[in-house]
Amino acid sequence: MSFEYNSADVRPPFIGELVELWRYRDLLRLLVTNSIKTRYKRSTLGIIWTLLNPLLNTLVLTIAFQQLMRFDVANYTIYLLVGLLFWTFFSQTTLQSMNTLIWGSNLLKRIYVPRTIFAVSVIGNGLINFLLSLIPLALIMLFMRQPFSLTLLLLPFAILLMAMFTLGLSLFISTLAVFFVDVVDIYSVLLQALFYLTPIIYPISVIPERFMIFIQLNPMTTMVSLFRSLIYYGELPSMAITLGAIGLSVVSLGVGWWVFTKRVDEFAYRL
Amino acid sequence: MSLHTAFNTPEKEITDQSVIQLKGVSVRYHVPQERIPSFKEYAIRWIKGQINFQDFWALRDIDLEIGRGEVFGIIGPNGAGKSTLLKVVSRVLRPTAGNLRVRGRISPLLELGAGFDPELTGRENVYLNGAILGYSKQEIAERFDQIVEFAGLNEFINAPVRTYSTGMYARLGFSVATFKRPEILIVDEILGVGDAEFQTKSFERIQQFQGEGTTILLVSHSLDRVKEMCTRAVWLDHGKIVSLGSADNVVELYLQRTNQLESERLRSAPEETSEAPRRWGSQRIEICQVKITGEEGREQNIFQTGESLTLHMDYHAHEMVNFPNFGIAIHRQDGTLVTGPNTALASLELPSLVGKGKITYTIPNLPLLEGLYQFSVAIVNQGDTETFDYHDRLYPFRVINHNSAVKERYGLVTLNGEWRHNV
Repeated sequence: MSFEYNSADVRPPFIGELVELWRYRDLLRLLVTNSIKTRYKRSTLGIIWTLLNPLLNTLVLTIAFQQLMRFDVANYTIYLLVGLLFWTFFSQTTLQSMNTLIWGSNLLKRIYVPRTIFAVSVIGNGLINFLLSLIPLALIMLFMRQPFSLTLLLLPFAILLMAMFTLGLSLFISTLAVFFVDVVDIYSVLLQALFYLTPIIYPISVIPERFMIFIQLNPMTTMVSLFRSLIYYGELPSMAITLGAIGLSVVSLGVGWWVFTKRVDEFAYRL
Repeated sequence: MSLHTAFNTPEKEITDQSVIQLKGVSVRYHVPQERIPSFKEYAIRWIKGQINFQDFWALRDIDLEIGRGEVFGIIGPNGAGKSTLLKVVSRVLRPTAGNLRVRGRISPLLELGAGFDPELTGRENVYLNGAILGYSKQEIAERFDQIVEFAGLNEFINAPVRTYSTGMYARLGFSVATFKRPEILIVDEILGVGDAEFQTKSFERIQQFQGEGTTILLVSHSLDRVKEMCTRAVWLDHGKIVSLGSADNVVELYLQRTNQLESERLRSAPEETSEAPRRWGSQRIEICQVKITGEEGREQNIFQTGESLTLHMDYHAHEMVNFPNFGIAIHRQDGTLVTGPNTALASLELPSLVGKGKITYTIPNLPLLEGLYQFSVAIVNQGDTETFDYHDRLYPFRVINHNSAVKERYGLVTLNGEWRHNV
């Protein structure tokens, strides 16, 4: 392998970063596996937590909402769990990628590594957790006699869109977080609000007509609906949802990647 | 740098011997005049148009070519742009203007062990750190045993790194960073890695690399170290090259300049404060000139702790004086008397003096710590009843302590004591 570096090589950073990421693929793989290892190393139940966590969460929320709010939703537990799994992936990876970049700043100031590697590894880590938590979901579906529809075969496609969408947003807010410390706090608050603005614990039908527009304008609604169609309703998502999800993912990743790679040379000055 | 200039500059191919080539490299920090850490604050100011940016050139128009196998030193005062230069070379910063070309793999020995994850085992961290340096899993696997062997961590390699001592941390870090010969090695400050044995081992490894053609970039505050290790050096100040050439020459010029600046400062300082007469005595025998010199007999005002210092007093006895007593005193700037030796106490019997002559006082290993000090010199008679000549604190000198051999910082003197831990 030869290493030639010319600072004036004007390969657009948009593409260049991808090439670099490929060159550092071993590091990427290690960052993903290591974060999983460290997470479970010191806990006795280990990986079981990933399975248990959504189950217990769903149990609590099911009791709380089904009993108190009396939503008219068949198999509410499954409805809720699908939404929660998506939300957990989204909120945890976006928050974590900000923190990882700030953590990694120590490294970034001293040595060159492709700087998208932290956000991408967090996505990888999140995907593994997401896939693992599909196991308890399947168990609950079996238990509640929810039919397994053929549309489940389209799940990888939905997961890809989810990963693209989240990565784009992660890169965008990570860039902001490098420049402004309080972005992390602001984002946590926004995230909380967004959670209640997205039909995760409640069905869309409970929203009064005049507020509907806010729910529908919320990109998270589109993404959640995509998963619900495939898993919960067992039907092909509507054209609006499909195109919406594809559009959101492509735009999010495009903008996020572009902003991040455009600003990345300033990181070392700022971090 | 814009597309335009990059494509239109006819680029000379990097020559066979040069490994690092900088052409007109400039780095500009575009910083807000005050730090605005919060987004809210920023948004408010932005709307009001109250953000003033300030351009600060950390490097300006640097042209450098560093060849294969060179040991190249970078010196200069704090804030001169030394670490910015290293960051540019190691790709952490992209230059604002100009062109940098690097040929070969760079291994930085900056803060050893940066990039370790304390929760992971030594084994896992070897792979992680190797990957950060850009090595593939396979490359590391092939040399894994040697890496561990060199660090001397065979028994601990499967324990989490958080249980390691600082020394073990550093040894493993060094071992990973140097398990393959890089074309370029960046050494920031000096390797204080582990015990004496490991230091020798790591030093030998670096020397071996150099023999095999590795280029070494060394940033150090220890000018002696730069002189001793480097073939060439550059002196940076305010982001510009002041001098470039053989390490001996550049260090020499740098020392002269700092000495000169310091002397100017010292000379201008006391005049402002002097109120009381600073010289008195009968002048039957007079001290006509006082000089402070270093090891090589060159006049200087700045000394490192541990260096040799000689004070020269040229006297002129206008008439015969019997058994004169020459004395000196050293005060710290705040008035604390450090010591006041004299020839009588030292039992140096001086005969009757007449005419001109010279007395010297040599301190072989200056034990003073960093600070500003003043010499007083005096000649009195045998019984201390008559003062012939007294120069009160007229000869200032400064002690600095960049020398890594002296590991003390506070107070007046180094005692050269030794710490032990008995369990």
